[in-house]
Amino acid sequence: MTRGWWLTLGPLLAAGPVAAQAGETIVVRGGTIHTAAGAPIINGTIVLRGGKIVALGTSVAVPAGARVIDATGKHVVPGMIDNHSHIGAVPTDLNDFPKLIGPDHRFVDALNWLDPDFKDAAEGGVTTIVTGPGSGENVSGMAVVIKTFGDDYQRRMLLEKGGMKFAMGVKGRDRYPATTMGVAANLRQYLIKTQEYVAARKKWEDDGSKGTPPARDLAYEAMAGVLDKSTYVRAHVHAATDVMTLVRLKDEFGFDLTLHHSTEAYKVAPELARRNISAVVLPLGPRIGLTEDAMKGPYLLWKAGVKIAMHTDAPVINQKWLRLCAALAMRYGIPEEEALKMVTRNAAEIARVGDRVGSLEVGKDADLVIFDGEWYEPRSRVDTVIGDGAVIFQRDGGTR
Amino acid sequence: MTRALLTALLVVGSGTLAPAAAQSRAVVIRGGTVLTMSGAAIPNGTVVIQNGKIAAVGANVRIPAGAEIVEARGKYVMPGIIDAMSNIGISASDQDEPGEPLNPGHRTFEAYNPFGDFGSGVPGALRQRDLLSGGITTMYIGPADATLIGGQGAVVKTAGATLDSLVLREPAAMDMTLGSPPKTAARARNRDPATRMAEVAMLRQRLVKAQEYQRTRDANPATARDLGLEALARLLKREFPARIQANHPVDIRSALRLASEFEFDLVLDGAQGAFEFREELAARHVPVILGQVSHPYVSNEEIPNKDDYLPVDEGLAAKLSAAGVTTAFATFSRSFGSLAPSGAGKWLLIDAGIAASYGMSEADVLRAVTLVPARILGVADRVGTLEVGKDADVIILDGPPLSVKTWVETVYVNGQRVFDREK
Repeated sequence: MTRGWWLTLGPLLAAGPVAAQAGETIVVRGGTIHTAAGAPIINGTIVLRGGKIVALGTSVAVPAGARVIDATGKHVVPGMIDNHSHIGAVPTDLNDFPKLIGPDHRFVDALNWLDPDFKDAAEGGVTTIVTGPGSGENVSGMAVVIKTFGDDYQRRMLLEKGGMKFAMGVKGRDRYPATTMGVAANLRQYLIKTQEYVAARKKWEDDGSKGTPPARDLAYEAMAGVLDKSTYVRAHVHAATDVMTLVRLKDEFGFDLTLHHSTEAYKVAPELARRNISAVVLPLGPRIGLTEDAMKGPYLLWKAGVKIAMHTDAPVINQKWLRLCAALAMRYGIPEEEALKMVTRNAAEIARVGDRVGSLEVGKDADLVIFDGEWYEPRSRVDTVIGDGAVIFQRDGGTR
Repeated sequence: MTRALLTALLVVGSGTLAPAAAQSRAVVIRGGTVLTMSGAAIPNGTVVIQNGKIAAVGANVRIPAGAEIVEARGKYVMPGIIDAMSNIGISASDQDEPGEPLNPGHRTFEAYNPFGDFGSGVPGALRQRDLLSGGITTMYIGPADATLIGGQGAVVKTAGATLDSLVLREPAAMDMTLGSPPKTAARARNRDPATRMAEVAMLRQRLVKAQEYQRTRDANPATARDLGLEALARLLKREFPARIQANHPVDIRSALRLASEFEFDLVLDGAQGAFEFREELAARHVPVILGQVSHPYVSNEEIPNKDDYLPVDEGLAAKLSAAGVTTAFATFSRSFGSLAPSGAGKWLLIDAGIAASYGMSEADVLRAVTLVPARILGVADRVGTLEVGKDADVIILDGPPLSVKTWVETVYVNGQRVFDREK
C-alpha cells in the first residue's frame, strides 16, 4: 500500500488512465436497461471494455471473445450514487465540536478507503458515493467523491475536493452563536473575511508579488474555493428559515449551492428552482419515520423543477439500501425513471462527477447493477455489480 | 361526512371523543384477497365485523341484513400490523432515566401520549395517523436502551377513544439492555456500569435482591413494599417476560445465562448476533424480535456503535426461523438525534418485505409482523389474525402487501374505521 498519493495535491479528476482489466470485454444482454438518460431499452445490449461503456442499444453486435452476462428478464441500472454519507471514517472523526467554522478540514485526511462499509455499499449496487464530515460545525470541511470498490486509491478517488460542507443550525447553546441569527451573522462575517483575504492576496500579486507575501491561512484559502466556484457548498439544512438564509448568502456571495436533508425545502421550492439550487433530500429510509407531509416533499420539489437526489446519510441508513430511499419517494408521485435518476444521474451531476458516472451512455465509466426484478422493489435482489468494467459482485459467485 | 368527522375525532383524540359504543351495524368487507394469517389466503373472501370483533371470515359467509358493504375487489385484506417495539408516543426526554441504571418500577405507559401535539415535541396525532397509514394497529411501547433496566412496557392499540382504552396488556414485559448503550450512558456520567462485567453484575445483584424481597414478603406480608423489587419479583414469578436488548453474541450469551439462573421468561430484542445461538434459542423457546431488515442497528443512536453488531445479514430471520426460533420484526422506532421518536412504524411492512428475497416465504414475512409478535407479546387471543372472535383490527391494501407501490387504504381498529388514505 505504499502509494505516494498523499504527496500529490489531489488532482481534481483522477483521470483513471489505468485501463480496467485491460483486454476483457463484458457484454450484458437481454435485460431492460434503465439508462437514466432516456427511455428504458427493452432487450438491450451493453458492451464494456477498458473500464468504459463502449456500445449500448438494441442492435449491438457481441464482440468475439467477449464474456457474455445474460440479463434476460432482469433490470439493468447505472451503478448507484449516494450523494451524502459519512462512511470510511471512525465516528469520532466526523465532527470537530470545539470548532465552529473549519473549511480547512479535509475528509480525505480521516478517510480509510478500505473500510468494510464500502464493500457493503458496492454489493448493494452503490458504486460511487460522496462521503464527508458531519454537521457538528457550521462549516465542517471538504467532502470526497469516491468509488466504493477496488483497493487502488488513485483509481477510486473521483474528487478529493468534493464539496464544502455547511451545516445550518445552532451547534450548542453554551457558546456564540446560540441563535439562528447568530449562525447567519457568523457565516456572513466569515465569507466577508474570505473576500478580504482573497483581495489582499490579489493586491500583493497585482503589485508585482514583491517582498513577503501575505501569510497564508488554509481556512480562508479553502473557503476561497467556494467563492471562486472551484468547489461548491453542500449545506445541511432542515428548517425553511435556514434554507432562505442560505439562499440570501448565495445571492450575496454568488457561490454554487446544494441543499442537504432539505426537510422543509419543499416549502420554498420556487425560490430554489428559480436559482437552480439543487437539493439532496432527507434520508427517506425505513428507519426514519417522517410525517406524510415531509414524505411528499421530494415530489413537490421535483414538480417545481428542482433537481434532487436521494441520500442515505450512511451509517444513519445502510448505504446498500439507497434504492429504497428513491422507492419510498416514488410512492408520493415521482415517476419510476425520475426516481432512478435521483440515485444515479442527478446524484452524479450534483456531485460534479456527471461526466464520469451516473448514466449508462457510451464513454461513461462501466459501472452498472443487474437486479433480478424491478430495482425499486424491496424484494428484488442484486444479481451482479460491475465496476470500472469488471465484475465486482455476483450473488451466487462470491465477490471480487 | 359523519364518518369522516368521527374518524378525525378518533384519530386526533382530544379526550372528549365519540364513545366507544358497541357498533350495532355490521361491516362486511368482501371481494378481496383475505390473508387471515391463520390459514391459507382466501381469494374473493369476505370478512364480517360486528361489535368490534371479527364475526365471520371465509369464502362463503352469510352477510348480515343491513350490513355496510365495503367492496375490496382487487385488494388485500389482512389483520392490522403489529410493531413489537416502538418508543413512539413517548417524549425523547422521557425515554431513559439519565442518572439511574436500574428502573424496574417505571411504567412506560405513564409517559405514553399518542394524543400529544406534534409541536410539543411529543409525537401526537400526526404521528398516530402516520402509524395507521402503515397499517400499524398494535404496538409494544417500551423505554429506550440507555439504562440496564428501563422499566415495564405495554402493548397498546394505535387508535381508540381514550388513553386507557388503548391498553391491551400492561405490564407486558420488563425491558432491559445489555451491551454498549447502558455503559456508554453511564461512562458519560463517570459511573457504573462502565463495562459489560458491571452490567451483568448489577443486573444479577438486583435480581438476587428481588428474590430476597419476595422471600421476606412471603414470610412477613407486613414488610415495607418496594415497587421496583415487586415488579422484578413478578418477572421471577413469570407473570411476564424480560425483554433484553442484546445484539453482540457476548450480550446474548449473558441474557441467556441470566434467564437460566433466575428462571425468568426471556424475549431477545435486536438479537442481531443470534445465529450462533439458534439451536439453544429454539430448544429453550426464547423468541427473538429483530430490528428492521434494512437497518438492524436497533440501538437508540443516530450513528450505530458497530462494536455491538456483526455484519448485516438480511437472511438472519430466515435462518433463525428454519432452526425453529420464533422470530418477529419490529421497527424499534427511537427518538432520532434531537428529533422526537420516529414514526418508522409505517414502514415496517415494506422493510420486512426485504426478507422475502432472503429465504423467507411471503406468508412467513407477513406472520412475522402479525401473528408471531402477537404471540410473543401475549396478546394472540385478541390480535394478530383474522379469526372469529378476535378484535376487528383489519387493514385493506390496494396491492400485494410487500410491494413498495402498495398503500394501506383503510384501517379498522376494534371495528371502528379509523383511517382512510387521502387521495
